[in-house]
Amino acid sequence: MNRFFGMILVIAGTLAGVVLLSAGFYLASGWLGWGFNAAANWLAGTPGAVSRAAVYYGASVANVVTLLLVVLMVSASFLTVAERKWSALMQNRIGANRIKVFGTALGGIPFLLADALKMLTKERVEPTGRTRILYELAPLLAFAPVFALFAIVPVGPPIELGQVPGLVGSVAANAVEPIALQVSRTDTGLLYVFAIASLQVYGTSLAGWASNNKLALLGGVRASSQMISYEVSLGLALVGNMIAYRTLRLDEMVVAQGTPVLGPIPALGILLQPIGFLIFFASAFAETKRAPFDLPEGESEIVGYFIEYSGMKFGLMFLAEFVEIVVLSGIVTAVFLGGWHPVLFEATLKESLTPFWFAAVGAGAFIAKMIVMMWLQLTIRWLLPRFRFDQIQKLCWKILLPAALTNIFVTAAALLLDPSMQLLAWLGVVTLVVIAVLTAAVGRAPAAEAGAHAAAGH
Amino acid sequence: MAYPLENRPPDLRESMFFPEIIRGIGTVTRHFLKNLFFSRDANPDILARRRGGFGRSDNVTLQYPEERAPYPPGYRGLHRLVPREDGRPRCVACYMCATICPAQCIYIEAGEVPGDPIEKYPVKFVIDELRCVVCGFCVEACPKDAIRMDSGEHAAPSYERSAQIWDEKRLLRGPPVSYQYDPWLRRGASSIAPEKLEEMRARARPFPAVATDEASQTPGFSVRALAAEAKERGEAARKA
Repeated sequence: MNRFFGMILVIAGTLAGVVLLSAGFYLASGWLGWGFNAAANWLAGTPGAVSRAAVYYGASVANVVTLLLVVLMVSASFLTVAERKWSALMQNRIGANRIKVFGTALGGIPFLLADALKMLTKERVEPTGRTRILYELAPLLAFAPVFALFAIVPVGPPIELGQVPGLVGSVAANAVEPIALQVSRTDTGLLYVFAIASLQVYGTSLAGWASNNKLALLGGVRASSQMISYEVSLGLALVGNMIAYRTLRLDEMVVAQGTPVLGPIPALGILLQPIGFLIFFASAFAETKRAPFDLPEGESEIVGYFIEYSGMKFGLMFLAEFVEIVVLSGIVTAVFLGGWHPVLFEATLKESLTPFWFAAVGAGAFIAKMIVMMWLQLTIRWLLPRFRFDQIQKLCWKILLPAALTNIFVTAAALLLDPSMQLLAWLGVVTLVVIAVLTAAVGRAPAAEAGAHAAAGH
Repeated sequence: MAYPLENRPPDLRESMFFPEIIRGIGTVTRHFLKNLFFSRDANPDILARRRGGFGRSDNVTLQYPEERAPYPPGYRGLHRLVPREDGRPRCVACYMCATICPAQCIYIEAGEVPGDPIEKYPVKFVIDELRCVVCGFCVEACPKDAIRMDSGEHAAPSYERSAQIWDEKRLLRGPPVSYQYDPWLRRGASSIAPEKLEEMRARARPFPAVATDEASQTPGFSVRALAAEAKERGEAARKA
């Protein structure tokens, strides 16, 4: 029972921590924006002026540091530990716990340091027949696009600069652009996601090509065919959301998901587009190249496109995979799970908290949802065995793609008949019920012996 | 154990993938939450551990170097030379074990007990544990129950081969044993003090008829006994 209460404390502490962290991010964003403004005034000799551009750049720089370097990189590196510990919990094991700090394993977190030390100090082994430039470039090309993808994820709601503590009253409302926890608010939005995500394939296929190794080449070829196939359904899966929310921008999509449809229930993406969610999640999962779509790695068959990489070069590709997980959870959260809307008790929170703290709670809710989605991805990764290659292509072209196309037509028709999204929401409810029934209906009775086996205690 | 599997092609619902995957996620999640929120049974008596059920995780892990599963009573562990109550080995240097050893890993040098016309004792008794094939023939061959493999330990790893060659000083350990038929008890021995001899005679047991019966197992010298001791210690610490 101690563990039970301890875990509840840990979870509550994590939630409180992300809320406080988000408050810190907002402070950093607001204060750096104000600082840039002050610096601009000092340079231009215009004291007291308010420059939109300076505030915007300052806030963006702060967001690059806090969101990309803190949220993205820290969660990606924590995921390397979480993968071990969570998979252990799923498989009735304890997991990595041999590094002890003052007698406690600290949930395996010290393994981060050990891993980093190992990666950085490993011998650099390079194949002689490599294509030098491409070989050196590939880890970079694998890592940079996924890293850049997080730039458009709207982690927190926009607030006025004048609502940040310490800057209250310094700027009139609407004088500058609102501060939001989003690095770049581009109009291209989801198109940016598709464009940058399709760059990933260069890293993997070039790594396979430049290594001068048959197995690496096979891995690279597998990666390119798989990723290019799944990009089709990846793009089409989100078209339904674009039609429903009438925007490409992720921040506007999140705002649109807060409007109530079907009584008090907000128009969450997963309610309007359950099929789109499943297709997008599966396709994006294939893009991350993790089990059950880990054919490019296929460690039991071909080791993978990074077979000839050692040390931190491999580490970069390894980390890119985890960064992809974080980015995917961020995009799924923003597009399908209501983004920074806390959903539960939202009206009460909005009334009782100041805008600054409501924004912090919202960003905390976003990060909490992201953590749940990361957990879901690791769960699936440890749940399913690797698909065969023909099964992968069949899943893409014969299941996901027709389903995505049907989804687009049905969504468009529903919105044409009823632009208030109510019909679409009802369709979504029906779909969710059908999926629940299909899931709960027992198709094949599990073997009774399996239970007896599990109880034998070995 | 064989699992009867019904080998039919997937039906429509199964070939849709998602319902089955969602069910699988449910199963995995149940394990995850159970193991996350509840602690495993850390009973030092490993065989008495329970898992599953409400409020207990399904964890099966043994934290190996700290927690060890007890071996069955017949387990052949590291050798030991059984001591007498006066602290000297029961071994009479008859070379039976060294003769029967198929790996020839036992080396004995016999010496005569000073002042005794008959008795011998091992001046050197060396077992090369790297060479030993753990067949247990030496234990069966011994007429004096002087060598046993009831320590319940593996050969511990070492960085040097020399550390695996055990001489009589390392081998002589564990609780002492005396039997009523022991010649030094029946005839008396000049090397044992008379009052010690009386004590040994009082403690002596009849020789066991079966090599693996309870008398030939050394109480207090098995992993299970060590676990029981650890449990008692833990309980005592909790009380204090």
